[in-house]
Amino acid sequence: MMRLQAWLEERMPIARFVEAVRHKTVPQHRFSLWYFFGGMTLFFFFVQVVTGALLLLYYRPSASEAYESVAFVMTRVPFGWLVRSIHAWSANLMIAAAFAHLFSVVFLHAYRRPREVTWLSGVLVFFITFAFGFSGYLLPWNELAFFATRVGTDMAGAVPGIGEAVVHFMRGGKDVSGATLTRFFGVHVAILPALITALLAAHLLLIQHHGMSVPPSIEAAQRKHGRPLPAMPFIPHFALRDLFGWTVALALLAGLSAYFPWELGKKADIFAAAPAGIRPEWYFLWMFQALKYMPATVFGMSGELLVLVPVSVGALALTLLPFLDPDTPRSRRIVKTLAGLALALMTTMTVLALLEGSS
Amino acid sequence: MTRGFGLCLIMLAVGLATAGPSWAQIPSGTPSDLFRDDVHAQAGLTCDSCHGKATGGEYRSIARTEIAPLCSRCHSDAAYMRRFRPQLRVDQYAQYLTSTHGKRMSSGETRVATCSDCHGGHGIRPVQDARSPVAPPRVATTCARCHSDAARMSAFGHQDNPPADWGKSVHAKALLERGDTSAPTCSTCHGSHGAVPPGVTSVALICSQCHVREAELFRKSPKKALFESLGQAECLTCHSNHEIEAPADSWIGLKDPALCSTCHDDSVKGAADIVAVQEGLQRLSVGIDRAQRVLDRAEQAGMLVDEGRLVLRDAHERQILARVTVHAFAAKPFTETATPGVAEAARAEAIGTGALQELQFRRKGLAVATVLIVGFLVTLWVKIRRLPPIEP
Repeated sequence: MMRLQAWLEERMPIARFVEAVRHKTVPQHRFSLWYFFGGMTLFFFFVQVVTGALLLLYYRPSASEAYESVAFVMTRVPFGWLVRSIHAWSANLMIAAAFAHLFSVVFLHAYRRPREVTWLSGVLVFFITFAFGFSGYLLPWNELAFFATRVGTDMAGAVPGIGEAVVHFMRGGKDVSGATLTRFFGVHVAILPALITALLAAHLLLIQHHGMSVPPSIEAAQRKHGRPLPAMPFIPHFALRDLFGWTVALALLAGLSAYFPWELGKKADIFAAAPAGIRPEWYFLWMFQALKYMPATVFGMSGELLVLVPVSVGALALTLLPFLDPDTPRSRRIVKTLAGLALALMTTMTVLALLEGSS
Repeated sequence: MTRGFGLCLIMLAVGLATAGPSWAQIPSGTPSDLFRDDVHAQAGLTCDSCHGKATGGEYRSIARTEIAPLCSRCHSDAAYMRRFRPQLRVDQYAQYLTSTHGKRMSSGETRVATCSDCHGGHGIRPVQDARSPVAPPRVATTCARCHSDAARMSAFGHQDNPPADWGKSVHAKALLERGDTSAPTCSTCHGSHGAVPPGVTSVALICSQCHVREAELFRKSPKKALFESLGQAECLTCHSNHEIEAPADSWIGLKDPALCSTCHDDSVKGAADIVAVQEGLQRLSVGIDRAQRVLDRAEQAGMLVDEGRLVLRDAHERQILARVTVHAFAAKPFTETATPGVAEAARAEAIGTGALQELQFRRKGLAVATVLIVGFLVTLWVKIRRLPPIEP
């Protein structure tokens, strides 16, 4: 055993890694709870990787077989229903956890120097998570997914000049078809996983390098009182608490999958008229609702553009936040207010869309 | 002046209130206004084409007995009509002359229908136009203008109200509620231009235009000769003529209110066959209902039961075929059709039951997993509580 350890040590810096982890600490303050959401998002990502790999064993990415292969997984493959339901529920919970993580980082100003690159990698992971949701939604090739994808890809057509070409590229043709399914599948299982793995690795390494960020208000209070901030050892204190949270998440996933198995719906029919009540997944609902409220044209401008331009500007501002925020008390207040308003707007629009849907 | 205006308003209101179907069906307006939308105006015809030259600025009115011959001047001329609608038939007038309406009109009875009564006088639209009074969904209302008018019809010795009876039928539901334009209305069975009540021997032939399989089975059945010898109008004996209800399984049986019991009791020769058919229909119906309920429950619980639905659809199709096979009036062909349907319904139910059992298995599995997870969480919690305190 000792010889094996020595053999490994010669080739890999295990002892240095173990030592670093042993000495890693997590600041302890009244906002420490928010540190857990990053780990929670990571947990759901791992669940996605495992269940996604299992689904790949049976899934067939073609318009004639996709629906049937998912139905086969749901009805014939032992515990296939569980794997698919966990994959679908975990995708949603991952996005919810990513939202909580992102907004907690914004509100606690954890993106500040020297964590600009950590933030950038995190925001890109966040956007890729959405791309995972959008591309994966179509894969069962059911009616709801088909028409929601048609509406979703249509939105790109509003971009002046290149919109039509972008839509054509996304769909692999004029309309959503088997070609769209095939390329969404490729994106979902090859391109996005490669990107997210690289970005996630960078994100995690940078977090280890910089350690957890302490909010400015806590730092100020600490300086004022001259007391050092309590720090929780990562191993075992924080890791066990993380494990506790992950276990609760696992129980939640199992319960949701057993009591609310993810529906498969009707097979997509590309010649059928769109059924009533078509809408995207909940995390795109706020934008969908905003588009619904917007008239087709406002002062000669496309209503779609009037929603898409502010959303794109907002996404860009979010990405560049550490470079836009000069990190002064005033700028932090402005960021908090804007983030609060954005969150309130998104929540209101989502609730309105859900209420409309249920009525 | 004011009193005159008030009187006019009252007359207009009374007119509108009492006009009924005729006001609703035939578009109102001045002849020249109506003619602008008329299919004949679109073909280039003018007032002169029918009324001749105006004398002193006024056109002469056309007597009711002259209307059909006038229309036939063009509509019976194949060479002329080909210029506008090559597909249009040109035998309407010949048919009209064979109809009850045409015969009476030829004898000088002007209270019967002529072309303009059904098609309108000046706002005539093609039959394919949904606004036309002779478009399939509006035919019964057009016929009802006269045939539901008790005062008018009593003069001809008719006491019943066929359009109202038809309005309660399964055919009216199909045509008016479901918009199924293949469903029969008055003209489908009676003819349009050559409308006459079908004779006893014609009824089955008319019904068989749509109900082909039923008619075929009936013709081969012993009932055919029997009904003929009794002078009964085949289909009408059980289904009636205008107020045709959706047939029900309860019609078959030897006890009231079953229709068979009108003529049969358990002492007759075919009683065993009637009972076999009755029981077969019940087994099918009960089996399908049970399978439907089980599949619904499984689906509401989130289970995927597509295969069960497919099998149940097959059972439904068998049920439809079995109900048709009743017209063979024999147990053997019926049983051969119904028995596989009963088996398919049982298979669909078994799939639903299997799905519900799978659901129970999942829930029990979840309960076991929950116990294990909770145990693990408690252990973790105890471990966390026992960790050395965090030092500042």
